[in-house]
Amino acid sequence: MFLRDWRAAALLVAAVLAVLTFADPKLSLPLRVYRYAFVVDITQSMNARDYHIDNMPADRLNFVKESIRQAVHALPCGSEVALGLFTTRSVQLLFEPIEVCEHLPVIDDVLAHIDWRMAWAANSFIEQGVYAAIRDIKKRDPGVRLAFFTDGQEAPPQTIRPIFFEKPGEIAGLIVGVGGLHPITVPKYDRENRLVGYWENTDIAQIPESTTAYQTTETAPRPSHGGYYLSWLDENHLRELSATTGLRYHRLETPRALVDALRAPEFAERRTSRTDIRWLLGLAALLLFASVYLVAGDESSKRV
Amino acid sequence: MNIGFSAPWALLLGFAALIPLLGRGQPAILYSSISILPSDPLSTLLDRVLRFGAAAAALCLSLGIAGPYLSERWVERIGTGAHIVLLLDRSSSMNEDFSGQYLGGRAQETKGAVARKLLAEFVTRREHDLFAMIDFSAAPIYVMPFTQDKQAVLAAIEATSGRGHGATNIAPALAMALDFYSGKPFSGSRIILLVSDGAAQIEEETRDQLRQWFQETQATLYWIYLRNPRSGRLSEKPANPNESTTPEYLLHEYFQSLGVPYRAFEADNPDALQHAIAEVERLENLPLHYLEKLPRQDVSNYCYGAALAFLALLLGAKFLEVKSWPA
Repeated sequence: MFLRDWRAAALLVAAVLAVLTFADPKLSLPLRVYRYAFVVDITQSMNARDYHIDNMPADRLNFVKESIRQAVHALPCGSEVALGLFTTRSVQLLFEPIEVCEHLPVIDDVLAHIDWRMAWAANSFIEQGVYAAIRDIKKRDPGVRLAFFTDGQEAPPQTIRPIFFEKPGEIAGLIVGVGGLHPITVPKYDRENRLVGYWENTDIAQIPESTTAYQTTETAPRPSHGGYYLSWLDENHLRELSATTGLRYHRLETPRALVDALRAPEFAERRTSRTDIRWLLGLAALLLFASVYLVAGDESSKRV
Repeated sequence: MNIGFSAPWALLLGFAALIPLLGRGQPAILYSSISILPSDPLSTLLDRVLRFGAAAAALCLSLGIAGPYLSERWVERIGTGAHIVLLLDRSSSMNEDFSGQYLGGRAQETKGAVARKLLAEFVTRREHDLFAMIDFSAAPIYVMPFTQDKQAVLAAIEATSGRGHGATNIAPALAMALDFYSGKPFSGSRIILLVSDGAAQIEEETRDQLRQWFQETQATLYWIYLRNPRSGRLSEKPANPNESTTPEYLLHEYFQSLGVPYRAFEADNPDALQHAIAEVERLENLPLHYLEKLPRQDVSNYCYGAALAFLALLLGAKFLEVKSWPA
């Protein structure tokens, strides 16, 4: 009778589809996910307040934190993030990459608690920091992308430059320039986070760090003595770093633009996810079912 | 109990339920004069049953497509366990092995590596405990809030495989750890598990402050002291105790004066460390209120099941259907 009566056939197929949902069919679908290690410069120049965007913090560090928070929320499930801190010349990872949807509460909480007072020393040798971050990621998992947030200012200014030993581009990712291009003063806080003044040039140690494995550049940038220490986003330096390391450069202006930069296809990782397709079977069943009522085809009704 | 839908838009498909109420699902049969057929209450009833059955089938299918689920829930349970703050020394000396020789940050048997491995096992075994974590060297670093998210805690422990930096400054780290308990209800034991290789001093005024906080929070302090052979033992009073040569002994003495339960475990080799952690584990099993997460539970199967039942009803009716009517 199913051959003669298409309505009965349609209903039968719909019922079979409904039965098939119990087999829990899954389809492997390609999925784009991202794995990032966000490394945040927490030296004191990051306390400078040169962002002026509504509903966003004015100081660099909190602007970065809020931007990362929004970025983490915008990454597709299955993506992973790690958080790390940078100061002096080294990077410390707080946790290794964890999945963003399942662990969102923890990630948000830890991010919110990042504070300049966690710094284990006050200098910032950014170039060495970026290299250290790259080495660290390479040791742990070279597939992880680096997003390094800094204002780019070496403090104290460096006369000699470290050599980059890794292969440029081996670790992919972004150097994110933070701050404004105009020099501004850097607030000085005490351990209780009370403003006690502004950093002055005389506060900043003038002795360049030296170890082995350095090459010397011709001119030492000489800071003017006396007066306030000024900080700005040193883009030339960061672009140079970007060229050396093969990391892309991005200037942090809005969280939105950061999200777009982070979600660039070149940073995506393709994974297949086993996707539940019961809804497809259900939809097909529903369409067949509807056709029984909607399609007028009364070919079987012949008067005998 | 909260019900959610993974594809709420599909609920609009529920309007398909109107189709069988308005249209008809049987072929029309020509009959010479329908007006002479008497009205038959049974037929009318049957018609209604079939129409409503069909509507129900459409509804159930749409519900199933929308993917209903019971949201994940937290259920309070009472078990045994503790609120444990892991306080991990990340100063550069943790890159050494137990004999005091410097090894690269990734070497297998650095103090840090051994501690990491054993702590990870410890965290995994302690099913109901809540863990928080602080790294410290010159300053404390807030790494994890109190959480039952074991995977995150393990990721944080694993992350300490990077090289340590800087000096050991233990007082602010202890203060931060104690602060984790402030405002939290007393439930289960409160443990600060300090993993450090010592060599830390605490200033006089800070000592009193810390002592007071310890007494307020009633936290137990366990110190896993990763000793290398060159440093002193905690149990032996050094001949000439002073801050610069035997800081660990003075720290131990200070900890004993805190007025809260305190134990030190000396671990000068991996086995001793394992033993120390096992000891902590044995000691800490007080009643604890904890929350257990019941994961999101998919219930679309029930919808498809119901849809199937209604479809079967319609299919059965189809078999009984009259195909033509003898004139």
